[in-house]
Amino acid sequence: MRTIKFIAKRLAYSVFVLIGLSILIFIIARVMPGHPARMALGARAPEWAVERLREEMHLNEPLYAQYYYWIKDALHGDFGMSLVTRRSVAHDIKEFFPASLELALYAGIFMGIVGITLGAISGWYANTWVDNLVRMLSYIGIVTPSFVFAIFFVLLFGYVLEIFPTIGKLTPGVVPPPLITRITTLDALITGHFTAFFDALKHLLLPAISLAMGPLSQEARITRASLVDNVQKDYVASERSCGIPEQTIMFKYLLKPSLIPTVSIYGLDFASLLGNAFLIELIFNWPGLSRYGMNAMLQKDLNAMTAVILVFGLVFIIVNIIVDLAVGYLDPRIRLGAERTQ
Amino acid sequence: MSKIIKILLISLCIIGILSLGVAGAAERPFRTNWSWPTYIDPAVGSDFSSSVAFVNLYDTLLYPDIKGNPQPHVAKNWEVSTDGLAWTFHLRSGINFHDGTELTAEDVKFSMDRLTTIGEGYAYLFGKVASTEAPDKYTVVFHLKESFGPFLATLFRLYIVNKDLVVANIKRPGPYGDMGDYGKQYLLTHDAGSGPYIVKEFPLEEYLLMVINSNYWQPINLNAPDEYKMIGTCEPVTVRTMMSRRELEIADQWQPVESLEALKKIKGVEIGGFFSGSEHYYMMHTRKPPTDDIHLRKAMAWAMDYKTVVDKIYTGSIQSKGPVNQTLPGADPKVLQYHRDLDKAMAELKQSKYYGQLDKYPVVVDWVSIPADNEKVALLFMSCMADIGIEVEIVKTPWGSIIEEMATEETSPNIAGVFVAPHYPEAGSLLASRYKSESVATWEQNEWLLDSKFDAMIEDALKTVDREERFAKYSKIQDYIVDLCPSLFLFDQMEKHAYQAAYTDWPASKGEAIPIMGYNFAGRFIKVYSDKRAELLK
Repeated sequence: MRTIKFIAKRLAYSVFVLIGLSILIFIIARVMPGHPARMALGARAPEWAVERLREEMHLNEPLYAQYYYWIKDALHGDFGMSLVTRRSVAHDIKEFFPASLELALYAGIFMGIVGITLGAISGWYANTWVDNLVRMLSYIGIVTPSFVFAIFFVLLFGYVLEIFPTIGKLTPGVVPPPLITRITTLDALITGHFTAFFDALKHLLLPAISLAMGPLSQEARITRASLVDNVQKDYVASERSCGIPEQTIMFKYLLKPSLIPTVSIYGLDFASLLGNAFLIELIFNWPGLSRYGMNAMLQKDLNAMTAVILVFGLVFIIVNIIVDLAVGYLDPRIRLGAERTQ
Repeated sequence: MSKIIKILLISLCIIGILSLGVAGAAERPFRTNWSWPTYIDPAVGSDFSSSVAFVNLYDTLLYPDIKGNPQPHVAKNWEVSTDGLAWTFHLRSGINFHDGTELTAEDVKFSMDRLTTIGEGYAYLFGKVASTEAPDKYTVVFHLKESFGPFLATLFRLYIVNKDLVVANIKRPGPYGDMGDYGKQYLLTHDAGSGPYIVKEFPLEEYLLMVINSNYWQPINLNAPDEYKMIGTCEPVTVRTMMSRRELEIADQWQPVESLEALKKIKGVEIGGFFSGSEHYYMMHTRKPPTDDIHLRKAMAWAMDYKTVVDKIYTGSIQSKGPVNQTLPGADPKVLQYHRDLDKAMAELKQSKYYGQLDKYPVVVDWVSIPADNEKVALLFMSCMADIGIEVEIVKTPWGSIIEEMATEETSPNIAGVFVAPHYPEAGSLLASRYKSESVATWEQNEWLLDSKFDAMIEDALKTVDREERFAKYSKIQDYIVDLCPSLFLFDQMEKHAYQAAYTDWPASKGEAIPIMGYNFAGRFIKVYSDKRAELLK
């Protein structure tokens, strides 16, 4: 019950955050240089056609009136027409968001498993050559932008070794699974299209790993630091003195509390994956929302830009709520503290 | 035991992933990459990739030959009234759309009405069309508001859509009254054409896949691609990988020099180039100090090192002769061509009213950040001008900002470096769009020429229906412009593409290029040899 209350309260707060975000983005998008209607119709379009589009988009009206029209429609799920794709933004989001989500999910899984494992190994073997190696790799992972990994992987696995595809979601000729969730691998599994599943997985590996490299290095470093910190604690010494095997200490008593900072950062990193995937989606020609949003910004596609940022804002809010719940589960002190304040 | 099972399962998964076969792949696939988005609605798109799609999906009344001259296509013949106001076209019978219905004059009328009502895409070419009528099934008449000599050349951009199919898919209500959305939503992802290719899949933002129309009314060569895929990416590393894996037959024209060099090293890949009518200008503001002085402009024209531009920066391109790309019908090859001559430059400079106070009037040059080689041209210009004592400030400017700046006389820079392509393949197109008073405040004219004499000359030429007479008038106009020197005519751009020469026969790369955007990518003239491709893949 308390959990439900907590979620409801956070969701109620998030409505205000989203309204604030929408006002901010709406204003920023409209004060940026460039004429959206002219850019949409091309430099050679006649003035009357440009003017008609301006009228349709209410661009000749004051900002507050434009916002009123926009929010009124947005509350009904209508984010207007995209000036680039020439169809409803809601339709575009429905089509492109699952692709980005799928990429982020696989990157997130990879990031979680590899990052935490490396961090745990590094922390457990602190100040040995294993630790030094992991720390060095983590530094490289953190300072190297994801697109560099993407280019490296494309060259290595696509160009030199030729074992992985480098563009798109499926190989031409492979029958795509029916659209249920629009997450290709999931749809393929649900409908038993295993050829499509493996093909989609093959297409996902390079972009997902490229995207995950930076954050996973961060997870590894945070997990290590936390583990090294906890290993010094009295309760670990006490467990050792009782003759509890090292493996049990590690997995039963040490890892769980050491993951608390990792989980907090993991949540933020996961949400950031969606927004940061632009270059990865560009390099792998991945039809995702991040690339769509960036193109919208470059081409001053007002409706698409505003909607995409709102979607990413919503994802951040949801992920933060999940992180708070997860941290509460991992650390009873936080849970109990929250209960006391209530 | 359980460990062994786990290892086996994981191994099986990896083998499964790595050994996937592809079902139902095309025999002669043809893939090109483009900057996105691509629109396949002929009343919406007008950019490069959209134009390529139109040429493959739709038919036009006339088709250009390799010199850009109009030849019969859907129209078997035509005539024009003596006053040049009525153009009558007689259509072939038996041409079918992809759904099997016959293409008639009603479809042509509908296509023109739809294009001019929507006002997007190539509609700007048909501003002089007052009305269209279809007196019988195979005759269509265009009535013009005023005589327009190059009208035939504009018809390469009137793509004929299937009226019945579009009307059946109109969504109401829409912005076009009774016509609802005029079928725009439908034509976003479907075609309504009669062309040699048919849309198979079009996931927006990713690719456009077309398959060959086996019932096409014109001959298609036996090795023409059976699948034609346009991919929405220009990332050099992706392009290079696809080329090396033979997953891309022709690469885009925006690859940087370094990338083209790398692509050339791939076995079987060559760089094909042709002139598509585009010219690179340094547009000089004729109403802003110091470029308002004709002698200073001429001094800069004589001081510029054009040879280095075409030999070292935009290799393969040629120095322009005046304001019209030399591949266009109506270009005058005898027009004066400026070249680097510092004596002449100094002689002109000394006549300038700014001579002796040049340090007070730095020349601001805005160069567009894409393609990156524009910066080298700007730096070269700065260096050349330093030789005669003209101070230059070069400013890297995004395309969107250049358009904004050029919208007013006050904010337009002294010089804007811009590529301009003709709207239709004739000298009059470039002359009008570049220098006519109605094009000031657009990105096509930074000169702010506002010259009534020029306006009268170009209007007179464009009204002339007789081709030879019209071209003679174009020649005089070119001389007039060169003498005014409102621009530096830097180079006629060579469009360069890496392509799989070992197994692809591409007419444009062999000197059979059509100087109209999109037409060199008509799949029915391209040959793909799958056996040669297979050999390369061994």
